[in-house]
Amino acid sequence: MKVRRILAVWTAKAACGICRHIGRQGVTWAGKLALMIYPPILQELAGEVREKIFIVCGTNGKTTTNNLLCSALEAEGEKVICNHTGSNMLNGVAAAFVLAADLWGNVDADYACIEVDEASTRHIFPQFHPDYMVLTNLFRDQLDRYGEIDITIDILKGVMNSAPQMEVIVNGDDALSAFLAMECKNPWIAYGIGEQVADTSDSKEMREGRFCRKCGARLSYRFYHYSQLGDYACPKCGFARPPIDYDAREVQLGDQLSFRVGKERIVANYRGFYNVYNILAAYAAAKNAGFALTHFNQMLKEFHPENGRMEQFRIRDTSIVLNLAKNPAGFNQNISAVMADESLKDLIIVINDNDQDGTDVSWLWDVDFDRFCGDRIHSITVSGIRCQDMRLRLKYTDIPSILEEDVESAIWGRVVDGCGNLYVLVNYTALFSTRNILKKLEGEKS
Amino acid sequence: MREGAKKRELVIGHLYPDLLNLYGDRGNIACLMKRCQWRGIQAKTVEFESEDRVDFGSLDIVLLGGGSDREQMLVCEKLKKIRQDFKDYVEDGGVVLAVCGGYQLLGKYYQTREGTIEGLHLVDLYTEQGERRLIDNIVLQSPLCKMPVVGFENHGGRTYINGNKPFGKVLYGSGNDGSSGYEGVIYKNVIGTYLHGPLLPKNPQICDHLLQKALERKYHSAELTPLDDKQEQEANAYMVKRLIK
Repeated sequence: MKVRRILAVWTAKAACGICRHIGRQGVTWAGKLALMIYPPILQELAGEVREKIFIVCGTNGKTTTNNLLCSALEAEGEKVICNHTGSNMLNGVAAAFVLAADLWGNVDADYACIEVDEASTRHIFPQFHPDYMVLTNLFRDQLDRYGEIDITIDILKGVMNSAPQMEVIVNGDDALSAFLAMECKNPWIAYGIGEQVADTSDSKEMREGRFCRKCGARLSYRFYHYSQLGDYACPKCGFARPPIDYDAREVQLGDQLSFRVGKERIVANYRGFYNVYNILAAYAAAKNAGFALTHFNQMLKEFHPENGRMEQFRIRDTSIVLNLAKNPAGFNQNISAVMADESLKDLIIVINDNDQDGTDVSWLWDVDFDRFCGDRIHSITVSGIRCQDMRLRLKYTDIPSILEEDVESAIWGRVVDGCGNLYVLVNYTALFSTRNILKKLEGEKS
Repeated sequence: MREGAKKRELVIGHLYPDLLNLYGDRGNIACLMKRCQWRGIQAKTVEFESEDRVDFGSLDIVLLGGGSDREQMLVCEKLKKIRQDFKDYVEDGGVVLAVCGGYQLLGKYYQTREGTIEGLHLVDLYTEQGERRLIDNIVLQSPLCKMPVVGFENHGGRTYINGNKPFGKVLYGSGNDGSSGYEGVIYKNVIGTYLHGPLLPKNPQICDHLLQKALERKYHSAELTPLDDKQEQEANAYMVKRLIK
């Protein structure tokens, strides 16, 4: 059977190579081919990982957290398998292992860091049982695919119960995630931000799970960070934010962010409050697995994910930031990050409704777009398959926009007539194509 | 400014946004509010959370949104307290837009695998949980407007409307129960529907229908200044063209 395994690896590598050559992302296709040729390939290759397997789940922050975790382990000298690109369903996960294999069909790795789409955990866990699961948060996302957030929680409950040895590293500030961890028999530890950072009392944001999962009473909050994340307690049954093992304090946000966890001061050159959670989650997971993490700050300094998460480009004299924004919680965080830049800016919002985005675009109406008003916004352009819906969304906030369905024309148009500072916010399937366009224009026009 | 001459005001009551707030209900509110304001009609929204008392006498339009099955179970207890007042409001011609879970709650009951959620008994209809969820874009032809109605449906329940008038005939999608070919319900000035997306922004004629009915009831005249709906029409037409060949 080894021959089939080798054949699967070769085929997948060739498929991926061809796709890269013609400028497409062939990772999931490569994984699919490998599983078709040799179905037990994921199970077998995962079994060859010498030490531990981490998976990262949760609505937002999976890719950044997982890549940070991978880099943190590599900085400690470990060999790590990782699905860097964020292909997180069965085929993408299989591809991460298959593409890491050598030509004899074997992997040489100490650890694996794998982000997994919540609904796909059902298909992954029969293949291998992770040693650790990081659970970042649970927000509403792609309701048409998951039905309801309750269904996602049930799926995660199922897989956690199927792997009772797996240790869970959970965001204690999220009542939904924390309750899930408490309810299951798995050992768990929590991370969180233990002090109020931003005043969000007037936010109209949708808050998931404001009612106690245990008894149904309304949770009371000492403070909110964003969405439903914060310091909560149930006045009726006593369910509350758990004791926090990795507690971030003295959080400072701005052009760079920093915080203290235990005795360690952590500094990173990123914007966005949510990155505190991403860094903290990776830190907690690695520390909990026994790593000293003496190189953690150095790793953060060198961490430049080329995956459309706050990725920077320069075309002619325009500096461009590309960022993924695929659900209300993520989009609201993006708006905060964009508006923290006080200079004049142009904005392009690209909205697709392909299967992987969720074909239902009603979530656009749950985003606080009214915060995109004022004289620091030079222009807003709407683009992508559902640009019409996006334009309408802005119209009902009294914000005019330019409609340009073609993403390349939109970007080039704003490079030509914009103010030199451009943010491009895109949802999931628009990410890869938009990134390609930006790279292409950067090469051609510079 | 004919309308400005006589100052008119509409009050929109949003029921239990703390529990029933799935699927962009805020879009329906924004649409009702803006289409009043753009015409010089005063509009305000009052949110009633689950512990608040609802004074139907002060309301011109009531919006009952969607929630998860679990949250609907929580809301059904609260609803018993307001059932009679709500019924009087509906029978008096009060305008209601009930979406998804809210639509199911208009009826007698929603039978799920976990148990029965008792409804408000406002309209003679009932819902039973089906095998799979009906999830897709949807297009209707409604007697309430010329433009096709576009939206998105995502429901596990199958709703049976017992001879009531449907909100529309299904041109694309599943509708009430996946087989009758109809979607939603119209009863007096109540619209119940599975369409979110949200419903009103891409279907401005439905929004104006609700405003018109509310103005008629309050002021006995319902003149609405036409608005420039080009963007709404384009967004609507794009989906119709894409779904119906």
